[in-house]
Amino acid sequence: MALSPTSNLNRANIDFLVVLGVLGAFIFFMGFALMLPAFVDFYYGEDTWHSFLFSAAIAFVVGGALWYSFRPQEELRVREGFLIVSLTWLSLSLVGALPFVISGVLPSFTDAVFETMSGLSTTGSTILGGTTSDGFRNPQIEDIPKSFLFWRSLAHWLGGMGIIVLSLAILPLLGIGGMQLFQAESPGPTADKLTPRVQETAKLLWGIYVAFTAAEFILLWLHPSMDWFEAINHAFATMATGGFSTKNASIEAFNSAYVDWVIIIFMYLAGINFAMHFRLIQGDKGAFLGNREIRFYTLVIFIGIVIISGSLWVIDNYNILDALRYGAFQVLAIVTTTGFGTDNYEVWNSIGAFFLFLLFFTGGCAGSTGGGIKMIRWMILIRNTGREIKQIIHPKAILPVRIGDQAINRNIQQTVLSFFILYVFIFAAGAFAISLFGYDIMSSIGASIAAIGNIGPGWGDFGPTDNFAGLPYLGKWILIMLMMVGRLEIFTVLIIFSPAFWKQ
Amino acid sequence: MKIVIIGAGEIGYDLASVLSSEKHDVTVLDREKECLNKVSDSLDVLTIEGNATSVKDLVKTDVANADILISVTSIDEVNMISGMIGKRLGAKMVIARIRSDEFSQDNAPLTPSDLGIDVMIHPELSAAQEIAQLLKRSSASDVINLAEDRMQLIGIRLEPDSPLIGKSLNEYSALHSDVTFRVVAIGRRGRTIIPNGSVKLQKYDQMFVLAKTENIPFIIETTGKKEMELNSVMIAGGSAMGAMIARILCADPSKKWSIKLIEPDYDTAEELAIELKEVMVLNGNPTDPDLLATEGISDMDAFIAVTDDEESNIISCLMAKHLEVKKTVALVSKPDFIPLAQTIGLDAVINKKVAASNEIHRYVRRGRVISVTELRGIKAEVIELQANEGSKITQKPIKKLRLPDGCVIGGVLCDGSVEIATGATEVKANDRVMIFCVPSAIDKVTKLFQ
Repeated sequence: MALSPTSNLNRANIDFLVVLGVLGAFIFFMGFALMLPAFVDFYYGEDTWHSFLFSAAIAFVVGGALWYSFRPQEELRVREGFLIVSLTWLSLSLVGALPFVISGVLPSFTDAVFETMSGLSTTGSTILGGTTSDGFRNPQIEDIPKSFLFWRSLAHWLGGMGIIVLSLAILPLLGIGGMQLFQAESPGPTADKLTPRVQETAKLLWGIYVAFTAAEFILLWLHPSMDWFEAINHAFATMATGGFSTKNASIEAFNSAYVDWVIIIFMYLAGINFAMHFRLIQGDKGAFLGNREIRFYTLVIFIGIVIISGSLWVIDNYNILDALRYGAFQVLAIVTTTGFGTDNYEVWNSIGAFFLFLLFFTGGCAGSTGGGIKMIRWMILIRNTGREIKQIIHPKAILPVRIGDQAINRNIQQTVLSFFILYVFIFAAGAFAISLFGYDIMSSIGASIAAIGNIGPGWGDFGPTDNFAGLPYLGKWILIMLMMVGRLEIFTVLIIFSPAFWKQ
Repeated sequence: MKIVIIGAGEIGYDLASVLSSEKHDVTVLDREKECLNKVSDSLDVLTIEGNATSVKDLVKTDVANADILISVTSIDEVNMISGMIGKRLGAKMVIARIRSDEFSQDNAPLTPSDLGIDVMIHPELSAAQEIAQLLKRSSASDVINLAEDRMQLIGIRLEPDSPLIGKSLNEYSALHSDVTFRVVAIGRRGRTIIPNGSVKLQKYDQMFVLAKTENIPFIIETTGKKEMELNSVMIAGGSAMGAMIARILCADPSKKWSIKLIEPDYDTAEELAIELKEVMVLNGNPTDPDLLATEGISDMDAFIAVTDDEESNIISCLMAKHLEVKKTVALVSKPDFIPLAQTIGLDAVINKKVAASNEIHRYVRRGRVISVTELRGIKAEVIELQANEGSKITQKPIKKLRLPDGCVIGGVLCDGSVEIATGATEVKANDRVMIFCVPSAIDKVTKLFQ
C-alpha cells in the first residue's frame, strides 16, 4: 500500500470507508491463507476441511465486498495508515478465529481470537489444554486436528512476515517503530530501505524469510524424531519467533539435542534484523559483523548462556552439555521472544531463573520478527544514562549519544525514552489488571510481560507447563490487546487513542 | 607583475597590502563598496566594484593581461568560477582559495586543474597544521619544516635563566661543535637582526635556529628549555580552524590526545560533538574562568585560543598561562599585536593571513622559488630557492660570494641530503638553498640564483 504524508485538502483526515476498503483487501487475502489448512486436512483426512473453506468463503465475500465498494481512489493518509495497521491485526485475528468456532474445536469465541492473535502477533501463548473459567475443557494441543495445528503455525509465519514488512517498509514511512532507530544507526540510505521502492524491499525480505524457513524445515525433517508436518510447523514458529508447537510438551517432546540446536540457531537468526541478513547475503560481511545492535544482541545472549547454563551446571547438577543445551535454548527462546520450551525454567535454581526473568524484558533486534523492547532501544537507554552521569561531571559538555560512530538524533532518544516509559507503564497496568482476577504477583507479571513482549509462556499459573485457558474472558481480552500493542510497537496503536489523532 | 585579487576580505586585503608594498601592480575586485574603500584609502592599488563571477566585471580588471589572478572570497564556489573565467580570459596563473578538501583527494573526480586552477590555497588549514606542529615541539614558538621536512627552523625565546645569555654566537657554536646548526635570525625588542658570529644573545631574544630535524631536540636543550611531552589540549573556539586543529590531532598516529574544545554557539558545538568522537565539546564562553576551572584548565598541557575575537584569544591565553598551562597558542591577526603577544609571555601566536601570503609569495617572486615563509614577529623571511644552471651562486664557495646585507644562507639540499651551510659550502646547479633575509634584500638574493 502506498502511503503519502502529503495532504489532499479536499478530503477529511480520516476516511473510514477507505480504511474499511483496505482492510477488506487484507481480509480477502486471508481467505487464501485459510484455504491452506484445508489441503492439510485432505492429506490427513480428519474431515475438518469444510470449516476452513467456509471461513475462507466468508473472508472472500466480506473482504471482496469491502474492497470493491470502498477501495481507495487516491493515496492513503498517514493517519489512515495508523488506523489500518492496528485494525489489520485485530480484524485478521477475528477472521482467523472463525475455523476454531465453526468446527467447534474451541467452544469459546474469545479463546479462538486469543489463539489467533497469539499466532499472528507471534506470541505463542495458548489456551489449549486447560479448563476455562466457565468450565469448558479445551482440548490438548496434540488432540486437535492437524489442520488446526497447521493453522496456528501458519498464523505465526504470516504474522512474522507481516511484521518484517511492517517494521522495515511501512512503519518508517509513518515515522515510528524500531526501524526508525535502526536508520539512525546505519549510515547511508541503504540499510533501512534496501531498494528505492517499498514493494521491492518487501519482496527481498520475504525471499530471505522463506529461504530461512525452508532451510530450517529441511534440517528438522532430516532428524528421525520429526516428520515433515512437525518440521514445517516448527520452522514456521521459529522463524516468526512465535512459539506454538505441535506437542503438549513443546520442543521437549522430541528429546533430541540435534533438534534443540537447530532451533537455537534459527531462533538466533530470526532475532536479527532481516535487512542485515540481506546485506550479508549480498557479501557485505562488514556491515553485518560491524553492526552494533547485532553485537549487543549476541553479547546479551552470551552473558545469558554463561550465567544460566553455569548455574544449571553448578547448582542444579546438570551435566555440562545438558546445561549448555537447555540454558542456551531457553535464553534464545526468551531473548528472541519465541517462547519454545525444552525445560521447565520455573523449577531451576533461583539465579538461573531470575536471570531468565530479566531476559523477558529484552527482545530481538529492530527489523527482526522478534518482539519486546528490542536491543537498539536498550543500547540507546544505556548510552543515554551513561551520558547523564558524565554530564553531571561536565555540565557544559555536549555529549552526543552514539551507537558505533553514529550519533543518535535527540528526537530519537526522546522517542525511545517515551517508548520505554509507555512499555513499562502498559506492562504494569496489564499485570495489575491480571492480579485483579486473583492471580499472584509472579503469575500477573508473567502473563503481562509474556503478552506485551510477544514471548508466550509466563510465570506461575501461566508458566511454560501451564496455559492461559483458566484466565477469565475479560483477562483474555486484556492480553489480546497487550499482544497487539506490543507487536505494533505501542505507538501505532496508542496514537489512535490520543485526542489529537481525531482532530481535523 | 600584474596581479588581480578577487575578494577584499581579511585575506584579500592582507595580500593586496603585501603585494603592493613589493611594487606589484595590484587590482582588487569586490562586491562591497565598503571593503573596497578600506583598500583604496590605505593601499596604492586599483579597486573595481563588481561581481566575481561576472565576465563583464572581470574584464574590467584587465584580467587578460594579468600574470596572476588570486581569488580569495569566502565562498569556494565563487573562487572556482571566477578562477575558471579568469583563466579563459587569459590570466597566466590562477590561485584560488578552496577550503573543501574533496578536490585535493587522490581519486577526486574533479581536480583543480580541471577547473583551470593552478594553485589551491587553504589558509585555515595551513595555520591549523602549524599549530599542530607547535604542539609537537612544545618549547618552540615557531616550527617551520624545510627541505622536505629534513630540516627544521625553530623559533625559541630565551628566558632570563637560559645558559646562553651573554654568549656570542661564535661561542655558542663552539660549545656544541659536534652538531651543526645555524642561528639565522634574532628578534629583539621589535627589531630584526640577521646576525654574524659576534652578536651576543640577550634575555627575551627570539632566536631562530636552523638544524637537521633530528638535531632539533638537542638544540632546544642547549637553550635551557626542556622539551615537554604534551598530551592534553584545550581548544577555545570551534570555528573552522579550531575544528581543523581537533581533526588533525585526532588523526595523529603517534599518540592519543585528550582534547577539549570550547565553542560558544550551541549548534556549532553540537555539530562538532557529533563529528569528533574523541573530543569533548563544551558549550560556553572560552573566557569564562568558571568554565575553564571546572574543566580543569590547570591540568591541561596546552591551551589554543582560535576564536574570531583576537583580543579574547590573548586574554584567555594569558589566563591559561597564569594557571601554569605549559603551552599557549593564540590566533592573532593584527600584525601590531604579534610582537606584543610575545613580550607579554604567550608561547606562540598564529596568523592565518601569513599562511596565505606565504603560499602566494612563491609564485610572485621571480626565479625558481620553492617556498617562502614569513617569520612571525620579526621582519625576515625564509626562502627556499633552487639554483639555476650558471647562476652566480654556483660559481664560488659561500664565503667568497658577496652576499647582500641582511641575508644568511642557512642550508643546502643536494641530491636528497641536507647540510647546514658553512663558509666553505659550494652550491651546485639545481641544489635547493634555504636563505634567510630581510625583505629589502630579497630582490638582490633572488638575482644570485638566476
